Amino acid sequence: MGTTASQLGKDSLAEYQELTFLTKQEILLAHKRFTELLHKDHKGDPHARVPMDRVLTLPELKSNPFRKRICHVFSTSEQKDGSLTFEDFLDLLSAFSDSATLEIKSHYAFRIFDFDDDGTLDSGDLEKLVNCLTGDTDDTRLTTEEMRQLISNILEESDIDKDGTVNLSEFQHVISRSPDFVSSFKIVL
Amino acid sequence: MEERSANNVNFVRLLSDESTYSDMDPINMDSCEYYQTEIFDQLPSIQVFRPGWNGQGFSDACEADQSAPDMGESSQGQLLKGPKDKASVLPLRKLAMCIQAKREARDGRKLQTRDIGFWESWRQSQSINRRRAWEQVTEALSGLLPWQQTLHTIAGRFGIGVKAYFVFLRYLIYLNLLHCVIVCGFILGPTGFYGRGSNSEPLRFGGNDSILDFFLGKGYLNRSAVFFAFYTRGSLNLPCLNTPLLYFAGILTILFLSLIVVLRRTTVGYKHTWMLGNRYSVNVSYKIFCGWDFTIQDPAAAVLKHSFIRNDLKLFLEEQSFSLREAQRTLGQRVRLYLLRFILNILVLALLSGAFYLIYLAIIRSMVEGEHYWLVSLFIQYLAPITITSVNLVLPYVFCKISSFEDYSFTMQVNSTLVRSIFLKLASLGIYLFFLFKAELTKNDCWENVFGREIYKLCIFNFLATFCNAFLLNYPRKLLQDTYPESLLARLSGKQHFLVPFNVLDLVYIQTVYWVGVYYCPVLPLIGTVILVVTFNIKKFTILKCCEAEQRFFRASSSSVLFHFMLLLGVFMAATTLGFNLYQQDVVMSTCGPFGNGETVFNVTRVCVDSLPSLAQSTLRYLASEAFALPLILAEIIILTSYVSRGQANQKAIERLKDILVISSSDKRFLVKQHATMLRRHKSTRRVRRVATEEGATMRHCKDPAPYTQTDYNTVDSQACLPTTST
Repeated sequence: MGTTASQLGKDSLAEYQELTFLTKQEILLAHKRFTELLHKDHKGDPHARVPMDRVLTLPELKSNPFRKRICHVFSTSEQKDGSLTFEDFLDLLSAFSDSATLEIKSHYAFRIFDFDDDGTLDSGDLEKLVNCLTGDTDDTRLTTEEMRQLISNILEESDIDKDGTVNLSEFQHVISRSPDFVSSFKIVL
Repeated sequence: MEERSANNVNFVRLLSDESTYSDMDPINMDSCEYYQTEIFDQLPSIQVFRPGWNGQGFSDACEADQSAPDMGESSQGQLLKGPKDKASVLPLRKLAMCIQAKREARDGRKLQTRDIGFWESWRQSQSINRRRAWEQVTEALSGLLPWQQTLHTIAGRFGIGVKAYFVFLRYLIYLNLLHCVIVCGFILGPTGFYGRGSNSEPLRFGGNDSILDFFLGKGYLNRSAVFFAFYTRGSLNLPCLNTPLLYFAGILTILFLSLIVVLRRTTVGYKHTWMLGNRYSVNVSYKIFCGWDFTIQDPAAAVLKHSFIRNDLKLFLEEQSFSLREAQRTLGQRVRLYLLRFILNILVLALLSGAFYLIYLAIIRSMVEGEHYWLVSLFIQYLAPITITSVNLVLPYVFCKISSFEDYSFTMQVNSTLVRSIFLKLASLGIYLFFLFKAELTKNDCWENVFGREIYKLCIFNFLATFCNAFLLNYPRKLLQDTYPESLLARLSGKQHFLVPFNVLDLVYIQTVYWVGVYYCPVLPLIGTVILVVTFNIKKFTILKCCEAEQRFFRASSSSVLFHFMLLLGVFMAATTLGFNLYQQDVVMSTCGPFGNGETVFNVTRVCVDSLPSLAQSTLRYLASEAFALPLILAEIIILTSYVSRGQANQKAIERLKDILVISSSDKRFLVKQHATMLRRHKSTRRVRRVATEEGATMRHCKDPAPYTQTDYNTVDSQACLPTTST
């Protein structure tokens, strides 16, 4: 691949445009922002990884309660440390871009909410999800009783096949009714 | 409720069929874990839904599959066929996998379809470019919408509910702009171009006129283009194209367009709440799964969003346990509660009738002409608007307090307050108009002008009230709280919140006034647009400078239907007023304006119809006759019936599909479990061999530590050997 330290090669730019939902400008901007995050020693390396802590300093992610999950989902690192290569970063931006489809967005949303990576949202996942939404400190968290009531409500509504968990198709079923999911599931640099 | 019980019946039926599925609520551990079995990942339905999961996050599962090749290679190939077909149709970017996996997928596809023609590729890239360009255009257009930035700021700080108010306000501004265009085209334009009647004197500011007239709607303003009397029949005098007819057509167009636009908004909102509503109740899941706004960047906004979500959830849970508590009430409590509600409703009625009587007194008082000091006369002239506006300002808060005693749920409280307030607002306006009609019709003056004048005063005063409320009440209060936070007055006045329902009520009310008044005061849409734009800025100032974010989240979606419905009531009220007025024209001749010389709307249109060719005449006559009404009603009934039955059929289909989903998933669960038990038996014999091969692989990888080759991504083994490589 013809990536250099300062700018992307024409070939890989075209390739990224083909494989992601991003426009040329967006890819270039992403590259600029990514190289800013990179450590000096790795600037030339197309496969260099930015550790999760560095990625989370981006203002776009800083106040997002799901930031760590986002990094973990899009990271291809085999250590599961949430570090991102430039291509992972592009994947992330592509999924959160304006033009990504509802399928892509709901798919990644599901994986972000699936905290234990087992392919379904069980009550443990839902509890973590709700804690992320309400703020995860002692005084912002819901009480145990409220949490129990809430989770049983969610499962009663979305768990269509009554197996005690929400799977991807059930999740997408809920999401497809939401008019503004596509507009809110968005991160633009 | 009924639906849910029906569902349960189905499940019960299923349960009796399915012996493995023992209980509904505590799901037994076996069935809970079935999706973690290996074969589950190979099910066609699962693979369709996650074509790319083998790519990264689920590499372990994928690896497990590959490391156990004895699990049936042939059947796997067959199973993969379905999703592969689907995947090869999808554009690469729509695959949910990482870029490297997409590259591989692309290479795989290139092998399959190597020669896409030049034409095809050009067409594809063209379609992408076109879509991009279209997106850019729409984005640019949406950026051009006024106040986009303001709305964004407000939504970030005060939530969607408050933003809904400002969007509603902007919508009303658009509506009034549209009215302005119609008024200019139908009424102001022809009058300006063709002039007015020959006997009308030219407009001049002088004589007894004073600046005060602009507030009172008298003198100069009374003669000017603001009011009905100005628009006498001009030189445009064809049978079917004359100024009176155009005037009438303009007013009708305004009302009709408003009806269509508002009706459309109401039905859209209704459809929306219906979809999100109790019918398929996905309310909580929706709040959880779509709750977070990923566009939020500001930490303060994030904190706000957290608290919104928390309060919303708490509100929901509270309401749910409230309804539970409600179901458990004893008879004695219930009787006491109903008695209390009865008494409170009597109180509300008493308040309403008191308010109406007050308005009546004010109207009577302001009718009496007398010589006073100008300030006093101004006050007396404005007595009726003052009374109406102040009653409308105070009573909703009283209703709000009252409804808190009634032990309704929070949403119900808001709604009951809203219904009472809108009844108060529209009824007080109606009473005002009725007494005006009664009082003015007896005089042989140009009563349309008097009527227009009163409505003009109502608008002006309502605006002044908004203005004073913001700058003489809210802002000083805020200043006081900022400078002396410890003082008694500051603590008494408390924090200021932006009460969306009441503000929307104000908007609905003022818009109703515009619609009612547009016949008598044709420039009212122009005045209205200006007033609404200024109101927008005043409210923006109030909310950004003085208000704090509400702790209780306001439900935008459920109440916006109510708002638009009230707006619809406003349109109907305006139409009724106009109809009543036209009916009156037959009894009491108008002395001024377009229908001045003993003409009525009916006369003018009859002249027009008579001038048409005979075929058109007879067609119009038929359309207006009873003979046409019957087929029309019949046709409407048939169309409605067909829609209703189609809706019912869809409903049934949905129920059936849900049943099928439940049945097929229980089948799946059963088969997976059977398979898993079979596998377990096999596994115990094969485990020894597999462990041996894995260890062999580990050794190989550790010798060759190429860190970023794709093959390594999917190996579990490389993790195991990492510590050894680093040391």
